[in-house]
Amino acid sequence: MGLKKKIILGVAVILIGIQFFQPLRNQSEEVTEAHFEKVYAVPQNIKAILVRSCYDCHSNNTRYPWYGRIQPGAWYMADHIRKGKQELNFSEFGDYSQRRKRSKLRSIAGQIKDGEMPLSSYTLIHRDAAISEEDRRTLTQWFEAMEDSDK
Amino acid sequence: MKNITLSISAAVLMTIAVSCNQSSNKNSEKSENGSTAVAEDQSTQQSEKKATDSATIEDGTSTAQGDNNSFSIAPIVTDYLSLKNALVSDNDKAAASAGKKLLATLNKVDMQSVPADKHQKYMDIADDAKEHAEHIGENAGNIHHQREHLSSLSEDLKDLIALFGASQILYQDHCPMFNDNKGAIWLSESKDIKNPYYGSEMLTCGNVQKTIAAK
Repeated sequence: MGLKKKIILGVAVILIGIQFFQPLRNQSEEVTEAHFEKVYAVPQNIKAILVRSCYDCHSNNTRYPWYGRIQPGAWYMADHIRKGKQELNFSEFGDYSQRRKRSKLRSIAGQIKDGEMPLSSYTLIHRDAAISEEDRRTLTQWFEAMEDSDK
Repeated sequence: MKNITLSISAAVLMTIAVSCNQSSNKNSEKSENGSTAVAEDQSTQQSEKKATDSATIEDGTSTAQGDNNSFSIAPIVTDYLSLKNALVSDNDKAAASAGKKLLATLNKVDMQSVPADKHQKYMDIADDAKEHAEHIGENAGNIHHQREHLSSLSEDLKDLIALFGASQILYQDHCPMFNDNKGAIWLSESKDIKNPYYGSEMLTCGNVQKTIAAK
């Protein structure tokens, strides 16, 4: 067997091997007491956008795509979700202090308005999570109004 | 023969894969426990400090009593002002390093030195301020985002000063235009308006809302 073949074989074995090591999945059916939707009255149209474009990385419940178990992508995705939840977790929004809630609402509005969120690296692959300009405006306006009313 | 080499190499590679996975798990555990580790560090530092404190009492060389009342927001204000001044001069990199410095200063605060009746309010403000400082520190190259966080951070500083008093004379300034004309405040050490939200673009835009006398 030639060296080249051995290398190809080795890589193939590694790729197959790592498929057996799956990170914990970020999935929970439970809607926590501290969930954003229990803390604020969220209209249906806003909720639909949040579910589609935000909750995958910013809540305790991710809708995994069919390729979500393919390694090493699953590790990458898990790390992404961990960081996203660290910044903002809609499932635990009610646990933030009043001051942090206000800060978060302000940051959310700013990030959406500036087109920073949802991340382009995420919407590139998850095409359905991309938001239209109209949704972007709707969402920004709603979060800005929330921030103002939360003072 | 071929089969044996194949199975051996497969076994070796599996072991590598397993150990890689374990180490990556360890890493994630480590980062998840990062905050506890920091907390533990702080408490060890505190107990060490106590130990040295009591040692000095025993020596009879120092009045360790005064230590408990020594909390001052002066270092926080100083770091905030240098951060604000970096944004006045449109310097995102200097703002980022000032943000990191402010975060370090906030993390260094010995909670035992904060008066007990102000503990909770301090924690509330500091938790928020840390987050803004951290974001400003991470966003060199995105001065717009740094300025957004400055507007929230300035509110925190204002509340902190209301709670503990200013260590130097400060001016609370107001920029009416920032954030789609919603306006934002900032604190300054000088009476002249130097707007950190727009920098050279509109340096003298804004007005002094309040003069805060040193305590």
